[in-house]
Amino acid sequence: MSLCVRARMSIKFFQLIQLACWRMGSITDDEVIRKRLLIDGDGAGDDRRINVLMKSFTKWCHSSFSPEEGFSQYQRMVTSLAQCEFSMGKTLLVYDMNLKEMENYEAIYADIEKSITSAHEKIAECKKEIQRAKRIRKNRQEYDALARVIKQHPDRHETLKQLEALDKELQELSHIKENVEDKLELRKKQFHVLLTTIQELQQTLENDEKTDSDDTQESPMENGD
Amino acid sequence: MGPVELLHMSVFSQSFSPCGRFLAAGNNYGEIAVFSLSAALSPDASEASQKPILNFTAHDGPVFSLLSTDTHLLSAGNGEISAWSWAELIKKSTKAAWTRKPSYETSLEIPEINAMIINPKDNSLIVGGGDNNIHIMDMETGIFKSVLKGHTDYIHCLCFKEREEEILSGGEDGAVRIWDARTNRPVHCIEVFKYEECARPQFGKWISCLATDSDWMLCGGGPSLSLWHLRSMSPTSVFPLPGCQREAVFYQDLIMSVGEGPHVSHCLHGGTVKAQIPCTPSSLNTLALNLKNSEHRVMTVGGSSHQIDVFTNFSYRAFSLSF
Repeated sequence: MSLCVRARMSIKFFQLIQLACWRMGSITDDEVIRKRLLIDGDGAGDDRRINVLMKSFTKWCHSSFSPEEGFSQYQRMVTSLAQCEFSMGKTLLVYDMNLKEMENYEAIYADIEKSITSAHEKIAECKKEIQRAKRIRKNRQEYDALARVIKQHPDRHETLKQLEALDKELQELSHIKENVEDKLELRKKQFHVLLTTIQELQQTLENDEKTDSDDTQESPMENGD
Repeated sequence: MGPVELLHMSVFSQSFSPCGRFLAAGNNYGEIAVFSLSAALSPDASEASQKPILNFTAHDGPVFSLLSTDTHLLSAGNGEISAWSWAELIKKSTKAAWTRKPSYETSLEIPEINAMIINPKDNSLIVGGGDNNIHIMDMETGIFKSVLKGHTDYIHCLCFKEREEEILSGGEDGAVRIWDARTNRPVHCIEVFKYEECARPQFGKWISCLATDSDWMLCGGGPSLSLWHLRSMSPTSVFPLPGCQREAVFYQDLIMSVGEGPHVSHCLHGGTVKAQIPCTPSSLNTLALNLKNSEHRVMTVGGSSHQIDVFTNFSYRAFSLSF
């Protein structure tokens, strides 16, 4: 395997990790290198595999093995290459997964923002509702208080009815009074007529008596002559 | 101010500044203390922010009444009214803008002034006090233009009805008198102690608190605190509060009142007592609501203690300011 291929692979590896770290947060290059050195060193992991592969390849090319040994070396190199490819595939998948997680988190974040604003709006609405409800309660209480006072006074219908009954009584009584007065007038007139006739009769009787006594007085006077 | 004086201190009056960020309180030693509400309500408030930013002696006698106009703080002591500019007070200068006295008939006694209100329609100051009369002073010229006579004993409290421009006054003689502000003539006289449902003869007949809300009036004192409908001049609800109430206000759908007893009572118009919130002073003299500033919307109460309780949520005591 040529040096440039190896270099390209390790650069790609390095770039993958860097990209993954950058997407997850703003980590600087130095940190990535430091972390990589800490985890990998030059000893463990894929980089070592690549180094070993390169070394064994060059050894395999330059040395003279027996066909079986050569073939087994070749197999070992192919396995090692497959392992490298496998780990690269794994890292790519991890990178995809990180991207998807980021999108997911951003969607959740936007959701939460929306629900916060809607909760704020609901709170403002509820506050207005409370004010309305307080006003309504106050009006109801005032109404109740007035109603209690009004209830203490007697019912209007009853008082009207009482007034009507009293009115009727008054009318009847005045009717009766008129009748009685009329009767009184009539009796007065009748008595007046009676009395005048009596008086006239008395007068006539007196007049008659007078003429009678005059007559008797005159006749003896004539006899004496 | 030694500990004995602090023990015997009573706060008689309070008033908020026009911007709503300061509270002025007057006590029985004639001192006025100005507290900064924005400092006391801020998240990093400390012990020091609950002390006054300014404390000075304003009058010889107790400061029974404090009132804030748009620019000045008016304080009433023994027979005289002093005005202090709020801007100057905030800058800690204690020079009075003016001091005036109503014209009293006798020059022997100097009657105390118990209550002051402002008539915004014609910018006049209405004061009532120990000489049984109500004096009306024009704010611009400072002349006492009229005297309303009618009470037979000293006046405890005053109230003003904006819509009909009427002055209500309650006094020691148990009568609530209603005067027309334009013609200065008496309109009505309600003798609360004559109504059986309100009267409490064991306490007396004096009226010490008055409040109005358009057609409704609250009055209390010796007789129980009662809600009256002014159009029909009849008591509609009587509140079953045990002590004598010294100040009551209408707030939204509630009635809040303070008086004897270490609590603020929240009542409904129907006559029920909804809640009684405990406070530090053993009996309360004054209640004030800061409605001018929406950030510092608090209720403060003061009474027979050197501490003034502050309520941010009106249902419980948040903290106390102290003289």
